[in-house]
Amino acid sequence: MLNVDFNKLASLINANVQGANATVNNAEDAKFDSSITVEASKIFAVCEFLKTNKEMPFNSLQCISGVDWVEFMEVCYMVAHFDTTAPREFILKVKVTDRVAPTVDSVVKVWAAANYQEREVYDMFGIKFNNHPDMRRILCPDDWQGWPLRKDYVAQKDYNGMAVYPDNKMNFEDREFIVRQDMIKKAQLAASSN
Amino acid sequence: MQSKWDIGEPEKPTINSETEQLKSELLTLNMGPQHPATHGVLRVEIWTDSEIVAHAIPHLGYLHRCMEKHAENLDYRGIIPFVDRLDYLASMSMEWGYVMAVEKMLGTEVPRRAELLRILTAELQRIASHLMAFGTYALDLGAFTPFLYAFEEREKILRLFEEVSGARLLYNYIWIGGVWNDWTDDQIARVSSFVDVMEQEAKKYHELVSLNKIFVERTSNVGVLTVEDCFTYGATGPVLRGSGYKWDLRKNKPYSLYSELEFDVPVGDGERGVVGDCWNRYIVRMREVVESIKIIRQVIDKLEPGPVMGKVPKIIKLPKGEVYVRSEAPRGEIGFHLVSEGNDSKTPYRLKVKSPCFTHTSMLPHMAPGQMVADFVASIGSIDIVLGEVDR
Amino acid sequence: MQDGVVLSTVDDFLNWGRKNSLWPMTFGLACCAIEMMATGMAKYDLERFGCGAFMATPRRADLMIVAGTVTLKMATRVKVLYEQMAEPKYVISMGSCANKGGPYWQHGYHVLKGVDEVVPVDVYVPGCPPRPEALIEGVMTLQKKIANERLLRNKWVKHA
Repeated sequence: MLNVDFNKLASLINANVQGANATVNNAEDAKFDSSITVEASKIFAVCEFLKTNKEMPFNSLQCISGVDWVEFMEVCYMVAHFDTTAPREFILKVKVTDRVAPTVDSVVKVWAAANYQEREVYDMFGIKFNNHPDMRRILCPDDWQGWPLRKDYVAQKDYNGMAVYPDNKMNFEDREFIVRQDMIKKAQLAASSN
Repeated sequence: MQSKWDIGEPEKPTINSETEQLKSELLTLNMGPQHPATHGVLRVEIWTDSEIVAHAIPHLGYLHRCMEKHAENLDYRGIIPFVDRLDYLASMSMEWGYVMAVEKMLGTEVPRRAELLRILTAELQRIASHLMAFGTYALDLGAFTPFLYAFEEREKILRLFEEVSGARLLYNYIWIGGVWNDWTDDQIARVSSFVDVMEQEAKKYHELVSLNKIFVERTSNVGVLTVEDCFTYGATGPVLRGSGYKWDLRKNKPYSLYSELEFDVPVGDGERGVVGDCWNRYIVRMREVVESIKIIRQVIDKLEPGPVMGKVPKIIKLPKGEVYVRSEAPRGEIGFHLVSEGNDSKTPYRLKVKSPCFTHTSMLPHMAPGQMVADFVASIGSIDIVLGEVDR
Repeated sequence: MQDGVVLSTVDDFLNWGRKNSLWPMTFGLACCAIEMMATGMAKYDLERFGCGAFMATPRRADLMIVAGTVTLKMATRVKVLYEQMAEPKYVISMGSCANKGGPYWQHGYHVLKGVDEVVPVDVYVPGCPPRPEALIEGVMTLQKKIANERLLRNKWVKHA
């Protein structure tokens, strides 16, 4: 977050893009980053406006990140402006409530950096982007099942004949041993203090 | 875009018989996940028309190590070794970027000596990383001697780091609140003498490689990226500076104590070839080595005895919120998006790493059409890809 | 006449030839690859053990040093490359990622827990990343293992 007056930017967006409903999420502490949330259906128009307007232009998209809050999912766009005299940067968010087949419009035509970043969000969360030139997985193999970074993800048992978590190599017993020793010590302390 | 090797369409041969028709189609070459250029497991599918590349499609994910999933299950201190292994050639820069994000949310005060030591190690790491880029780039183009020279100097830096942090490559040295171990005066004196030697060596490499006619012919006017391209694709670091735009986070958005130090930001100026080509990206890296030497000398002068670790709670629990922090790594700007859900949780809710090499890899399909296959190898090398960062 | 004659067994002679000229294939995947390159460089010279020529193609190599994390996507390629090597061939698993999955064993859904799921391994070198001296010790252990091979009890002969 750098050099951005959030209220002014939100009102600019609301004035120029119909139905954007830009709202400012003020961070509770000055150390954290505030952000602006807009409607998912208007994201392409908002991004176009952000790139082409003259008052507060943003000429570069740094990163797109997804977050899975269990009731809804969020897509965060880190938008920045490279200008040695007036640099600025902020986080733009979009909420997605559908968990079965979520879709959002793609912004590849505005900033070409969105190409790979959106493919990664699709790979990790399952959110499809409309009008994307090449919507397929980027990091996991093409025939992978499941969306890994969702909170309810369980890895598949094996892939192409190789076990993903082979039983003889996972030393869960070691970890349980430590936890059990901890519990025994606590119980002994509680018994001696009674 | 037009490359100077563009010879136009091949002329169609005259065929006498009507039944004979010659077909020509594009040939698919696989520059597979295992190849002798040392950039790691990158697979590029190249469609060529005789020697000239028509499309290039990179396939990633051969080193996807699920680091972001691990980050959701480990506590804040335990993530530092995983962050090390992202860009394993510049571990100190990666650790610093992540630790800055956590410290911003915690609000800790880092002591002055720790800040200066962080700058010292980060700049030494920048020299080591650029030496590696220089060595492997020359190796890609067929020259073996610079690779040996680069590793010789790198071994000296790694020896210094090993004495301070205990490891040669993946240090786990920069901790939340400061640094882990202090440097003795003897070690600082050795850094000083190393830096004097490095200055002479940098001049030697400049004469050996940068002005060599064969190297210049192979890398100039190849893989030209304009400033507008760089903005649209989100390129940063030496790729953006090689195209002529003077943007460095250490000067334009200074963090830590960089505002007290005097150094210059080298930019590609078209001394050979055209601004934005591979030679200019390469020369930006070599000039950054000289600037890092200047910074190290100033830091050594400013060092004073003091504590190296600030006050950090034993179990770190962050309140609800998020932060996005960028810092200047040798390959570009590394960004960490750290989201915490509060609720007394000891682990982050989500840690997303914005990796510079990932964005630069997306520029390969843009640079490729019109080049010869050998030029394409030079372009990949000039972007300085490290797959650990791309695939996380 | 005495100085011109050398007596040995066929086993010893063949094993001496094989172990002192192991040509590795460059199979660096991740951070361990950098340490493997450093082992081949001027300070910790691997060439004095005969492993100087790093071949990029599997057809000419006899040693595959798997250096780095093997992911599920890459594992099929590792198997294909191993099958393309000509016998006799040996595999050194370098680093903890190639041994048993390394630091990514617990939540790594895409990491293969050890390269011995797809190829047979002769020597394991622990470390993250192992020091160059550790890799040299791994190569020397492999040389000792080769020195104990017997021609007629050899696994290569059985499969031929």
